[in-house]
Amino acid sequence: MAPKRSIFFRLVLHVGIVLAFGAATLMTAAYFYARTAADEAYDRLLLGAAFQMSDGLVVLDGEFRFTLPPSAFELLGLARNDRIFYRVVSSDGATLTGYDNLEPANDLSSSRQAPVFGNLVYLDVPIRTVTVARAVSVAKGADWAYIVVGQTTDAREELAAELTVRAMFLVATMSVLALGGTVLAVRYALRPIDQLGLALRRRDPLDLTPLEVAAPRELSPFVTSINYFINRLDERMKLLQRYVADSAHQIRTPLTALTAQVSLINEANLTPEDRRHLDRVRNRTAELSSVTNQLLSHAMIIHRFDSTQLVPTSLNDAARKAFRAAIPITLDPDMVVSFEPADDDPVLLGDMLSLREAIVNVIDNALRHGALARLEVRVMNFGETGRVEVIDDGPGIPEADWEKVTRRFYSSDSKSGGVNGLGFAIAAEVATVLGGQLGFRIQTENQPFCVFIDVPLIKERS
Amino acid sequence: MRILLVEDTLDVGEAICRKFQQTGHSVDWEVDGNAASEILNFTEYDLVILDVMLPGIDGFTILKRLRQAKVGVPVLVLTARSEIDDRVGALDLGADDYLVKPFDFRELEARARVLLRRRSGGDPTNLIVCGDISLNRASRSVMVGKREVQLKRREITLLEILASRPGRVFSKEELLDQLFGFEEAAGANAIELYIGRLRKKIDGAKAQIITFRGAGYQMITGDGA
Repeated sequence: MAPKRSIFFRLVLHVGIVLAFGAATLMTAAYFYARTAADEAYDRLLLGAAFQMSDGLVVLDGEFRFTLPPSAFELLGLARNDRIFYRVVSSDGATLTGYDNLEPANDLSSSRQAPVFGNLVYLDVPIRTVTVARAVSVAKGADWAYIVVGQTTDAREELAAELTVRAMFLVATMSVLALGGTVLAVRYALRPIDQLGLALRRRDPLDLTPLEVAAPRELSPFVTSINYFINRLDERMKLLQRYVADSAHQIRTPLTALTAQVSLINEANLTPEDRRHLDRVRNRTAELSSVTNQLLSHAMIIHRFDSTQLVPTSLNDAARKAFRAAIPITLDPDMVVSFEPADDDPVLLGDMLSLREAIVNVIDNALRHGALARLEVRVMNFGETGRVEVIDDGPGIPEADWEKVTRRFYSSDSKSGGVNGLGFAIAAEVATVLGGQLGFRIQTENQPFCVFIDVPLIKERS
Repeated sequence: MRILLVEDTLDVGEAICRKFQQTGHSVDWEVDGNAASEILNFTEYDLVILDVMLPGIDGFTILKRLRQAKVGVPVLVLTARSEIDDRVGALDLGADDYLVKPFDFRELEARARVLLRRRSGGDPTNLIVCGDISLNRASRSVMVGKREVQLKRREITLLEILASRPGRVFSKEELLDQLFGFEEAAGANAIELYIGRLRKKIDGAKAQIITFRGAGYQMITGDGA
């Protein structure tokens, strides 16, 4: 299942889309409002100028006389770059003065009720016009005169643009602030999830106590089910542990009793035949003890790696402890055994007990099946890796069997009855878990057979 | 020597009792933890062989009480539990040795002998150095160069005699007396056997044992001194 995009990203993306849409709408509206406002402002100037002009129209002796009032131009001059056109028209359509081709789109007489505004392209330039009507009394009676004033639209366009830009700046600022606020709010809202994640990441994977994190209501189902599973796993592990411990005790006690009773049999009273049988019983009992120990030690090691954290461990110490534990006091006095630690103590990330058990098993195997008169345990530090060598002067293991002997319950020694063990399997498994391996070195004229465990070392020693 | 055995499995207890009685020790056998702990309060023993799982209080508790009361009797712990942590725990709590069940009875006797001997023969703590061989009399460990070599009790004693006075020639009779005492009857051949084994085990060292025919043996440091 491909991971989905983060909740944070999704929330911010959605809020961002809504904000962008809103900002676009607001900016469009702002543009239209700005246009309207600019038009209204400049229309008033235009109208004012038109009214002033109409004041300059008088009837003298039954004739129209028109004096252009300068104030009208001053008013229109407020729009500095715009050009002005005007025309005074009598009711019969004759141009009294001004540009006589200035024809507004509307009917002139419609302006009798109220001034009429219009747009026009005049001399290839868009202009805004206003038409005002003025009632005059002439000799014939009442008559109408019309004044048309036009102005180019540069100033109002400029004003509209300026207003729009300001509005857009505001909208953009608000949108950015809103988006920033959203990011902060989403971060804040998601913080409990991050905290839960951090608590899970920081947790030791072998820690089986319930998770204790203050989580918001929405997250509590997750915490609850995580804790439920942790608890179940914990119970399983404890059950397994107790089972292994109990069965160990259950098996070992009668086995010890058996060995004890066998050791009490008085050989002096036995026939040679019976003595032979007793020897066999003894051998088989010893074998049973050894297999039992290996089985239990194997179970213990599998369990340990599930529940124990690896810590810096001295390979010298582990090997020395193994050496002392594996060599019995009752060893044949003619056997020369020795232990040589590394000068520079190799430290690895491991588990002392498992490591020791692995080395014990290799030494034990050498004592049982290899060594005739000499057994050496040696620790070496190669910088990157550390090695424990177990060297014996025995016949060694044929190269063809090296792979097989590390399997569980394989024996190359058919004389011992076929069953023999887990020794190398335990050692190999421990070595593998620690990132290393179990290896063999063939014997030559001047080099005896050697079984070794290689493990990677901690680089920086503190 | 007086030994206290605390073991609740009858078959096992019986065998241990018999074995030690055969070698001339007197053994008191308790099956209950509480009773054993009480006996230890007012009786002195030379060795305690202690099972961990017991009715009443367990072996670890007995051991803890014993050491809290500053009783220094050697304790050998027998454990049947699977976790090897037990062994570590036993040594941390002040046990002198441990054996995991099922164990070889000869091994138990041998280890008990070591503990009993440690009890009777004082506590030498000094280090004997002869050339590149060193012998720690406290831990009874021998180093050849940087190799730790395992020696048997008599081999260590022999090395101790020779190495403490390098250069001096010891006659066979002298060594026989020191090694076996007057009680044990041992022939001159025994000395040859032990010298042979010892030579083999310190093989590779600069220090050497030199034979003077008819006179005896001498140890030299081998570094020209």
